Amino acid sequence: MSGDHSDAAIARRVRRLETLLEEKGVLTGARLDEIIDAFVTGATPANGARVVARAWTDPAYKARLLSDGTAAVRELGYMKGGYERLRVVENTENAHNVIVCTLCSCYPLFLLGPSPSWYKSEAYRSRVVRDPRAVLAEFGLHLPADTRITVWDSSAETRYMVLPRRPADTEGLSEEQLAALVTRNALIGTAAL
Amino acid sequence: MPDRFAAGTRVRTFPYDPPHHTRLPRYARGKPGVVVEPEERAPLADLSAQGRADAPVEQVYAVRFAARDLWGEGDHHVVLDLWESYLEEVPDER
Amino acid sequence: MARINDVGGTVGFGAIDTTDDPEPFHADWEARVAGLLLALRAEGLFQLNEFRDAIESIPPARYLTTSYYERWFTAICSLLERKGVLAPGELDEREPGGRGETEAADA
Repeated sequence: MSGDHSDAAIARRVRRLETLLEEKGVLTGARLDEIIDAFVTGATPANGARVVARAWTDPAYKARLLSDGTAAVRELGYMKGGYERLRVVENTENAHNVIVCTLCSCYPLFLLGPSPSWYKSEAYRSRVVRDPRAVLAEFGLHLPADTRITVWDSSAETRYMVLPRRPADTEGLSEEQLAALVTRNALIGTAAL
Repeated sequence: MPDRFAAGTRVRTFPYDPPHHTRLPRYARGKPGVVVEPEERAPLADLSAQGRADAPVEQVYAVRFAARDLWGEGDHHVVLDLWESYLEEVPDER
Repeated sequence: MARINDVGGTVGFGAIDTTDDPEPFHADWEARVAGLLLALRAEGLFQLNEFRDAIESIPPARYLTTSYYERWFTAICSLLERKGVLAPGELDEREPGGRGETEAADA
């Protein structure tokens, strides 16, 4: 398979670059391992889910989250060292929010971890600003005709996360159980719960 | 330093079509919008992308655009985060 | 003169593959490349906007036919050359046996 071959070829080039950087004293392999481990284990959609569950169960926290997302997630231990700003946008009965980066692939990595492949695709990035209703339908999300849709195109240092609507009949659930209901797509705005 | 544009200010993006890196997408050039809120201050991306340490630090604003103004149709809105250099105030015509 | 990355409103990219892939990386080298970007920025070798500029400067035909993390790798290498960390062509010279050798030995 040519795909496998090219994958093996680029893997070798990456290794060679790592060797060169180590020889030049720019970066050691151990330091790189550390950075990758911290990135992969530190940020996952479970973080965003935990923030959402807290907002659903604590109205004062929700108010803080919507007025200053960065400070509110720092309360829970996230985004401690980041320079970026977080804005959380709330879905309601009449308003739906969805996130994109049409110029590259900006995404709240520090909170949600690496983004899904579709988020980085030209197909999603080109179309969601033009016809979000059709794009959301492709994800299986069919919004009522009178729902107001806002597309947040992250073009500077602010990153966005959606606060999805709390599902019905979840009054008895604990914060932890609520967090387990929150999907990554719901935090981006391509799914409802 | 006070923000040049308060929330609710009607603005228009510059139509300039630069040959270099910019964070004003082409679909939103020369378009009318409304400031949602002033955001962070940040070095102007057009210059910092060139490795220049002297990029001016500017206020960035969240600006809301109606789909009809961007595409000629549609009922949604798009919000972009735009450096102050990309914006000019639209005089109140009322 | 919009660049190839500026795709908002561009027609023709087709349907979205909405598969929810929970794996952040699909090959080990992709994770290494993502780590290299984080590490080299932390070392102060370049700014994020310079990295974006380098990605956007990939010729359009090549941009559209390379994968996401391959673009990152290309951009990192071109920035390292621009900053004088790598000499032009230095990475190619490290091909086993020199440039142009077949990859058959590794296959």
